[in-house]
Order: sequence, then structure tokens, then C-alpha cells
Amino acid sequence: MAERTAPIRVLIAKPGLDGHDRGAKVLARGLRDEGFEVIYTGIRRTTEAIIAAAIEEDVDVVGCSILSGAHATLLPKVVAGLRDAGAADVLVVAGGIIPEEDRAGLQAAGIAAIFGPGSTIAEIATYLRAHVRSN
Amino acid sequence: MSEVTDQHGAALRTTRELAQAISSVERGGPAADALIQTALTRLASERSQNAVVIGVTGAPGAGKSTLVGALAERARAAGRRVAILAVDPSSVQSGGALLGDRVRVEERPGDEGRFVRSIATRGSGRSLSHTAAAASLLVEAAGFDLVFIETVGAGQADLGIVRLADLVLLVEGPEGGDEVQAMKAGLLESAHLVVVNKSDRPGADRAVERLRSGLALGHDAPEVLLASAVDGSGVAELLTALEGLAVTRSGGGLQRRIAAHLAAAVEARAALRLRDAESDGRLAALAQSIATGERPLSGAVDELLKG
Ligand code: B12
Ligand SMILES: Nc1nc2c(ncn2[C@@H]2O[C@H](COP(=O)(O)OP(=O)(O)OP(=O)(O)O)[C@@H](O)[C@H]2O)c(=O)[nH]1
Ligand SMILES: [Mg+2]
Repeated sequence: MAERTAPIRVLIAKPGLDGHDRGAKVLARGLRDEGFEVIYTGIRRTTEAIIAAAIEEDVDVVGCSILSGAHATLLPKVVAGLRDAGAADVLVVAGGIIPEEDRAGLQAAGIAAIFGPGSTIAEIATYLRAHVRSN
Repeated sequence: MSEVTDQHGAALRTTRELAQAISSVERGGPAADALIQTALTRLASERSQNAVVIGVTGAPGAGKSTLVGALAERARAAGRRVAILAVDPSSVQSGGALLGDRVRVEERPGDEGRFVRSIATRGSGRSLSHTAAAASLLVEAAGFDLVFIETVGAGQADLGIVRLADLVLLVEGPEGGDEVQAMKAGLLESAHLVVVNKSDRPGADRAVERLRSGLALGHDAPEVLLASAVDGSGVAELLTALEGLAVTRSGGGLQRRIAAHLAAAVEARAALRLRDAESDGRLAALAQSIATGERPLSGAVDELLKG
């Protein structure tokens, strides 16, 4: 993999009607301190808005934070929408409250990794650096 | 979106291509130069008028992003193709950034006539990134005819936006602008229009009066308007005033942007030389040679800029 010269750009998104934003903010701030360029889009975004923002911002990663229980319907839509927009090279990861039994299905739908409560910023940053597209 | 291609195959046909082109100019190098050339070729052959580029500055939290969002909605409804470039600071410690202006702007998925991009200052240490002018040329070439560039809002310190934009809007809050501040040199003297935002809050009327009376002591005082990005009052009048000023100010805008791009590239290179010299010890060594009288200061400066 060619070495990246530019900071990794990450969109932190809150899809659907979910007001829990503490985790997203903790992550946004933490990744900033790890040298990432973090675009935070705020709460209650439609998947269409998240996909459009990801394209305009040319991000390397879309990170969805979801604690509402709607992950099974919303997260696959983000992956599919990016693919349809020609951006299948964007890494999609998720975090929040996502029960163990739902994870295999999400990963099959293209969610690269899921980070639940207690995940550290360092482990998330390490994962992203290792799996993001090269430039 | 209108088609732009050149012999390098670089294209600005779709939103995605425009977005990738901006990333490319942020990385720099030959591919970036080729993209700018493509944009300039396109703009030179374009018969329609150049874009109007509006710089938006003002203290952190004054409401720049929210107001730009409101202006963009209105201009878009009137048929303008609107782009927003929103600059936020990079951390000097980590090199990372939290780009949060987008939170304030309504998302309009599916509307090809709107484009919003968050830009980190990266190495510039200023209220604009070194690549803001390049990004502005790219969105202009992609067919956007009204471009808002929001600066970090460093207050009095930074005049880079004046070089780049056709006109500069200064956003103040209801607490802003005491008379002495209004008399000081800096952004207020470069602003072509001043708006006191948050008119829904107490004190905004008085801020307008303070700013007007402070500015009246000089000549060519900019107009001071009142608006609320949140309840929408005054936003239509503000857009009308901006478009009125643009008619008289946007001539030669393209040349202005190219010059701003060149100036930023020079600053970027000088900053890079300085960083390199700092990390490999040449800066310290040259400082030592000045201290011993071995070398004059100007000689050391030439040496450093040579790289
Ligand atoms: C605090 C809290 C609230 C606060 C939210 C404040 C805020 N602004 O965020 C308030 C009181 C408002 C609230 C309200 C509600 N809540 Co609440 N809330 C919680 C609670 C106790 C903690 C969440 C939290 O902030 N954790 C701290 C952060 C830092 O952790 P985190 O979000 O998990 O993030 C970490 C990881 O998950 C990961 N991560 C998170 N996002 C992402 C994204 C990416 C890309 C990556 C890589 C990693 C990552 O990294 C973070 C660091 O480790 C949880 C229970 C729990 N233990 O999680 C319930 C919980 C989430 N709430 C719940 C519910 C039901 C509600 C309400 C609907 C009503 C209610 N019964 O209380 C409302 C609805 C709010 C709304 N509008 O959507 C349920 C959700 C059930 C479900 N999903 O099936 C939970 C699980 C409680 C429960 N056991 O029932 N809540
Ligand atoms: N009451 C009121 N609040 C406003 C208005 N405009 C913006 N705000 C609020 O002011 C805060 C800052 O607004 P932003 O638009 O982010 O301000 P900014 O100048 O872009 O801030 P930075 O980009 O951080 O410098 C937010 O909480 C807005 O909701 C307004 O007209 N009235
Ligand atoms: Mg802002």
C-alpha cells in the first residue's frame, strides 16, 4: 500500500431518529487528536444526506453511530448508496448499541467493523489506519 | 454538471469528480497543477459570467455557517448554483481537525446545484488553507456561480480572504463591535459589508449603532445590516445587498483567484522550507551563524528559501 501523505478524512454520521450523540462526539474529538480530519454532520440525518455528504467531502471512511436499534435497516442502505454513487472504496464502520446477534448480518451487508461500548479511540484509530484506502 | 476534460483526462463532470479534484489539489504535486490548468482552460473558454466569490469572516460562533446556509438556500431557490467552502482549523499538535460547519447547513441530497465542502487549514496556520483559492477555481469551473468561502474567523488577524474573494462579508454577533474595535485596522476595514447576526437576541440593534458610528469615522464605510440566520429575518435583504455589491466588484475575479492561488502556493512552499529546516537542524545552524556574525540575516533567509 502506498504511504498516505494526506490526513485520513472521516465522516461521523448519526443516521435516523437517534438523539444519542455523546459517543459520536467523543469519537469525533478523539479521532481529531489522532490526526484524522473528522467531518461531523450532526444528529438525525437521512441515509441519503449521509451518502451525499460523504461524496462531497470525498471521505475515506463513513462512521455511523447508532444507538436507536434501527441499525439493521439503516446501515446497509449507507453501504448500498455509496456503492451506487461509485464510492465502493469508502470504508464503512459503525458503533453504538448493536447486539451481537445482528453483527454477522451487517458485516455481510458490507459494514467493515463494529465498535461497541467500551471501545477505545486508539483501537478504532488503529483499525481505520490499517483498513482505509491508500490515498 | 457541465463537462470539463483536458488532455490529461482530468474531469470535473460529476460531484464526485469535483470532490476528488479538491482532494487532489490538497495533496498537491503535478496532478494538482494539471487540474487547475483544466479548470482555467474551461473558465477561459466559458462565455457566461464568472462566479461571484463571497468571503465570510467574523469571530468564532458569530453565526457564519448558519448564515451562509440560509443565504445559500435563498440563492439556490432563485436559481443560482451555490457552493460553500467552509474552512476550520487543523490541530497543530495532531494535524487532525474537527470540521463542524456542515452541521449548520441544510443537507440537500440529490440537488446537483449545491455543493458543500469542509476544508482543514492543514499547514497554513491561518484562517484559510493554502488550497482555498485552488478549491474555489475548481468549483467555479464545475459551473457553480455563487461561491461562499467561510474562514476560520481569526478576527482581526487574517487578510487572506481579501485577496481571494470578490467581496468580504463580516459577521458580528450582538455583543460585537465596540467603537474602538471598529476604529482599529484589520478585517473591519477590509469588509465590504458588515452584518450583525442574531437579531433575535437582545442587543443586536445597539451593536449595529456602535459599528455604524465607529465606521463612520473613516471613509468608504461599509454598510451595516441586521439579520437573524435562525428566524430568517434580514436574510433576503442581505443577499440582495451582496448581489448588488457583486455587480460592481466581481470584474477581474478570475485573475484575482489565480493571483491568490499563486500567492498561497508561495506561502505554502516557504512554510514547507521552514518546517524542513526546523526539523533537520538547518534553522538552528543558520541562527548560530548569525549569532557569530558569520552570516547576515538576509543571507540566511535566502539560504532557507532555496530549500
Ligand atoms: C446517555 C444515554 C441517553 C442520554 C443521551 C445523551 C446524549 N446527548 O447522548 C439521554 C438521557 C438523552 C437518552 C435518551 C434516550 N435513550 Co438513552 N441511553 C444513554 C446511555 C445510558 C449511555 C449512552 C452513552 O452516551 N454512552 C457513552 C458513549 C461514549 O458511548 P457509546 O455511544 O456507546 O459510544 C462508544 C462506542 O459505542 C463506540 N461508538 C459509538 N459510535 C460509534 C461510531 C463509530 C463509527 C465507531 C467506530 C465507534 C462508535 O465508541 C464510543 C466510545 O467507546 C445508554 C445505555 C448504554 N449503556 O449505552 C442508553 C440507551 C442507548 N438509551 C436507550 C433509550 C431507549 C433511550 C430513549 C429512547 C428513552 C429512554 N428509554 O431513555 C431516549 C431517546 C433519545 C433520543 N432522542 O434518541 C436504550 C437504547 C435501546 C436500544 N437501542 O435497543 C439504551 C441502550 C438504554 C437501554 N439499555 O435501554 N439516553
Ligand atoms: N439566536 C441565534 N443563534 C444563532 C444565529 N445564527 C447562529 N446561531 C447559533 O450560534 C451558534 C454558532 O453558529 P455557527 O453558524 O456555527 O457560527 P460560526 O461563526 O460558523 O462558528 P465557527 O465556524 O465555529 O467560527 C450556533 O449555536 C447557532 O445555532 C441567529 O441568528 N440567532
Ligand atoms: Mg462555522
